[in-house]
Amino acid sequence: MQITGQLALTVVMGLFLVVIAAWLAQIEDWRSYTPIGSGGATGESGYVSKEKPAGISRWLTTVDHKDIGLLYGAYGVIAFVVGGLMIMLMRIELLDPEMTLLSNSFYNSLLTSHGITMLFLFGTPIIAAFANYLVPLLIGADDMAFPRINAIAFWLLPPGALLIWAGFFPLGDIVPAQTAWTLYTPLSAGVGGGSQANAGVDLMILGLHLTGVSATMGSINFIATILTERGEKVTWANLDIFSWTILTQSGLILFAFPLLGSALIMLLLDRNLGTTFFAIEAGGTMLWQHLFWFFGHPEVYILVLPPMGIVSYVLPRFSGRRLFGFKFVVYSTLAIGVLSYGVWAHHMFATGMDPRLRASFMAVSLAIAIPSAVKTFNWITTMWNGRVRLTTPMLFCVGFISNFILGGVTGVFLASIPVDLVLHDTYYVVGHFHYIVMGAIAFAGFAGLYYWFPMFTGRMYQRRLGKIHFWTWMIGSNITFFAMIVLGYGGMPRRYATYLPQFATFHQVATLGAVLMFIGGLVWTYNFVVSWLEGPKVQDGDPWNLREDGMYTNEWQWFENKQETALADGGDEEEAVTDGGTTEAEAEAEAED
Amino acid sequence: MDEQPGLSDQYRRASPWPLFVALGIPIAEVGILFDVFAVAVAGLLLFCGSVTGMLRESGYAETPWRPLGAFAILLFVVGGTLAFTDVNLVTRGYAIITAGGLLAAAGIGGELFVPKREAV
Repeated sequence: MQITGQLALTVVMGLFLVVIAAWLAQIEDWRSYTPIGSGGATGESGYVSKEKPAGISRWLTTVDHKDIGLLYGAYGVIAFVVGGLMIMLMRIELLDPEMTLLSNSFYNSLLTSHGITMLFLFGTPIIAAFANYLVPLLIGADDMAFPRINAIAFWLLPPGALLIWAGFFPLGDIVPAQTAWTLYTPLSAGVGGGSQANAGVDLMILGLHLTGVSATMGSINFIATILTERGEKVTWANLDIFSWTILTQSGLILFAFPLLGSALIMLLLDRNLGTTFFAIEAGGTMLWQHLFWFFGHPEVYILVLPPMGIVSYVLPRFSGRRLFGFKFVVYSTLAIGVLSYGVWAHHMFATGMDPRLRASFMAVSLAIAIPSAVKTFNWITTMWNGRVRLTTPMLFCVGFISNFILGGVTGVFLASIPVDLVLHDTYYVVGHFHYIVMGAIAFAGFAGLYYWFPMFTGRMYQRRLGKIHFWTWMIGSNITFFAMIVLGYGGMPRRYATYLPQFATFHQVATLGAVLMFIGGLVWTYNFVVSWLEGPKVQDGDPWNLREDGMYTNEWQWFENKQETALADGGDEEEAVTDGGTTEAEAEAEAED
Repeated sequence: MDEQPGLSDQYRRASPWPLFVALGIPIAEVGILFDVFAVAVAGLLLFCGSVTGMLRESGYAETPWRPLGAFAILLFVVGGTLAFTDVNLVTRGYAIITAGGLLAAAGIGGELFVPKREAV
């Protein structure tokens, strides 16, 4: 029986390879490789006559940074929807104190997957989407330094996601992991009862490992691109702020993710091959936490620096002024990058570690508030006395600042050991970091999506729907996360599917905010899908009227060149206007009033 | 770039290999970790084959045969370490050695029997 199974599997895998080889032989002109004399990269392949292969092959085989950026974007958005639906199920379950809609173990599974999905499958990829599309355009490079590695880094992500979510698929007796995204040992090492020894946890760890490999490959590519591929006119002195944050973030990834990868492999070996890295009698319970958070805290800055870059880049465009204190924004980015490696143990203040060590981590954690505040004041002073235009991307930028202040200030309190010991593992922490990851990082991501939507799609979105999206999210996120802060002060512990009746009211308030955000999400999805398909076409390369303020930038210049060289089509479509601006007809009507 | 708008798109911007390099890694990982022989072998073949294809496509190798041979040696070393030392992961080691064997056969066969084409 077992032999037959092995045989069947061998046949299946053999067929799989044959199918791949057949597809490759069909799509690829093998002979084009041999005449090296003609130059490998520009060989006489079948593709040269056209710009790119047509249909699905284009997307499967592309090494163009813009296409890969769009793929990253689509992937990140899909993951965001999955993670969002997961949290909606959880928030509905939390409407009442008892276990009603979901089983406790399913709640734990959703909790684990929501965290990993949002951080690794949405956060990092959506940043890579912007970076891939924009950095080469901003710095005047033809493409990324290593286009094929760029494609490999992206294609590692879909298998990674499937492995991370594997437990949710009907695959025999595999169940989803319930370890929480932090994977603390000895629980995640498969010790004790429950389903922690199940292969679902192994698959999730493998998936996580793949996304880490992907992020590392991407970071090497960005560092090489920004260091070596800049155009002649782009110097260190005038390198744009977004590329600075991507460079810093890539440096952080380069040091953080390989460590996560190693720690994950050690964990896998402990689980499957009998090693004892994290066994109680060997490494103990603290080793994993140190390794994990040495990666985990820089990961926070890996996720927040590029969104800060987006805000620093977009905010001045709608303030009619250049970024206030540009140099200091760059310095504070670098300072955060360096300091981020000295704060990891603030996640472990309650573990009973040496108090002297604890104090030093508290000091550095408090110190990191300084460069963060430098940035915040610079954003505010950029808007000060500026010609502020409240377009949707600008609203998301302002929302970012507001939420970042709330998330940041609650973080300062958590950095203080005595306060942390009281609030540790309560909803206060959940509220704090959601203000940052959702209120700030996701908001900046959506600021970017709205701002560059005309460039990505050649069309303009519906501005009223964009504003509805912003306000539902701004109000919704503050209702939800502020309720969490209050729950935390009340002593509600994190991660539980059930709770004491006294917490019901604020849990219901939090769910109300989540529902509001869900509605906003639906509006956004409708807006983007419909606008992409049939929105008014952008007529020139300056949909935001940046030239008026002298704020025009490289990537729009590239877009304008592309528009001008594109074949003229009918041109009888509705005129696209700046979100915040008016069409000529409307302007005349207003003038008559 | 600015002087010649749209020209960058005329460069060859497609390669079939990255997708399969990326697919080979997880298949090989799953196969080796869970000790599933056929999956491990197929994943390694896919990964090594695709990297070889990419090396050749980008002009780092003239023919695929020597990179295949190099991968075979690498896999023999890793597989041998797993199978024949104190690590004692025999079945996993054999899977890796098998993949190495297949690659070596392809590499040696290609080197010996496939006629060399002239550069144009």
